[in-house]
Amino acid sequence: MKTFIEDKNFSWCPGCGHGIVARLCSELIEEMGLRDRTCCIVGIGCGGFHHHYMEIDALEAMHGRSVAVATGYKMGLPENFVYTLQGDGDCASIGLLELIHCANRGIPITVIMINNGVFGMTGGQMSPGTLLKQKTPTSPFGRDAKIHGNPLKVPEMMQEMDSIAYLARLSVATPSLVRKAKKGLATAFKAQLEGLGFSFVEILSPCPTGWKMGVVDAYKRLAGDVAKVFPVKEFINRVGGAA
Amino acid sequence: MENSALFMKNSEIFAEAMMRCGVRHHFAYPITPASDVMKYTAAHIHEVGGRMFQPESELTVINCLAGLAATGKLGCVSTSGPGFDLMQEGIGFMVAAELPCLLLDNMRVGPGDGDIIGSQQDYFMATRGGGHGDYYLPVYAPSSGQEIVELMPIAIDRAYKYRTPVLFVIDGVMAQMIETVIIEPAKNIVETYDTSDWAYTGARGRGKRALITGSYAHSDGEEMVKQLMAKAEKIKKNEQLWEEYGLEDAEVVVTAFGLPGSMCREIVHEGRKKGRKLGFIRPITLFPFPEKGFVNIPKSVKEILVVEMNYGQMIQDVRLAMNGACKVSHYGHVGGDQPMVKAKEVRRRLDEILEAG
Repeated sequence: MKTFIEDKNFSWCPGCGHGIVARLCSELIEEMGLRDRTCCIVGIGCGGFHHHYMEIDALEAMHGRSVAVATGYKMGLPENFVYTLQGDGDCASIGLLELIHCANRGIPITVIMINNGVFGMTGGQMSPGTLLKQKTPTSPFGRDAKIHGNPLKVPEMMQEMDSIAYLARLSVATPSLVRKAKKGLATAFKAQLEGLGFSFVEILSPCPTGWKMGVVDAYKRLAGDVAKVFPVKEFINRVGGAA
Repeated sequence: MENSALFMKNSEIFAEAMMRCGVRHHFAYPITPASDVMKYTAAHIHEVGGRMFQPESELTVINCLAGLAATGKLGCVSTSGPGFDLMQEGIGFMVAAELPCLLLDNMRVGPGDGDIIGSQQDYFMATRGGGHGDYYLPVYAPSSGQEIVELMPIAIDRAYKYRTPVLFVIDGVMAQMIETVIIEPAKNIVETYDTSDWAYTGARGRGKRALITGSYAHSDGEEMVKQLMAKAEKIKKNEQLWEEYGLEDAEVVVTAFGLPGSMCREIVHEGRKKGRKLGFIRPITLFPFPEKGFVNIPKSVKEILVVEMNYGQMIQDVRLAMNGACKVSHYGHVGGDQPMVKAKEVRRRLDEILEAG
């Protein structure tokens, strides 16, 4: 495979889900023949490493600004394939304003939000995806809805928007969910390629280091407690085809 | 086609001038006194196949511009003080990423929300980078609508030549003044620049290109800043622009930029007709500051009066350029019912300085 750089050591920690998503994106870009017209706009955080293992053009935007950069890029080169790769901190905390308005405009770009429930790169602090009672360095007594608000359900919040062509929450918790995630991503990519509108996928992903857990336990938590709060679901599909 | 005479607000002249030079993308968020620019492009830029885009915030505006610039296309952003504040991170990002673009700040009173009336209080923000880190960008300060038209192709050229954002600063009074300009027929210079050796257009027939301003090794970061500083030095050496008048026998020199520059030129002119030994320097580029215009001032000059619509910003650069060679004083005014510096006050101060001899 030309798109995925296999002989480079990951910067990601062992067990991290980011590598799975980079692999899935690479496979799809290759299978759909998009490599030479793709630009990935990554956020700041562990998601920023995404393109380091991919042979595609990439822009590293300032924190939270990937969707805005992608919007301007798409205006410059409407025929190119543009997707952002952001964490839940980058996308749903500091970048939420851009996400909502871009989705509402229906600009045909694809936004991928990796939800691992922490700010991984800065040391596992509380993020929009942190579960209630979850302890992090900035919620040392556990996330409290009255103080910190509830975990932010981003696609649930966006599901009434007419301008979205594809909206789903996916997960990399198990091999079958990974296969499902690839289908969801493919549909999101198709939404853009067919000019149907904005597409957004949230991908639940483990952060064993940030969660202070072993790899196996982290994947169990992702399939269990995390999925209870953030159900894997297709919210909008105006593309057609099974996901 | 012949040149045409236009009678329009200077904000509209800016918009018309950039469109005639080939700018086809204008991003902006409503803010007084800069909204006239986007009102004009919203109504007219489609006539030349362009688009005005109004996103949800100035953060989005400037980062959309960065995304567009990454494709090799030249876009423009116009704003005023509070919006310009919000854009600083994005501007620093584009300097670091070496992305050309065109910026306009129609300066208004600050700090904070300030007021919608004009000022020149953004001098520091414009000339000292504006965001975190060591960086500078070329800053043009026209003093008339005609000069906006004349500087536009120069600024666009420098944006490509140095691969940098370039900035126009116009005080909010001048931005809303209506002037007559003589403008040449449209000539798309933007499309004459080749960006194929750096634009992020997709890895077709070449290896990947990645725009990275974060340094993952400290030596990368050091190298990036050194390169930016070398570029700034080159700009300092080659791009200083200023207007001077009556320096040959001057005892007192008045210096001002933008609209107060036009006003002070008149004052010096009428003073010289009465036999007063007055001289005049008007910086046209604020970065690079036209030090070359100051170092050659004759020894007869005892004092330089700096006139600004702020309480003392450009005066710092004048003092640095003069390095103690003569006295440097300041007259500034901001806000109130009459935001402009007062001609009467400039004349009074000049009389005072000349009498003190």
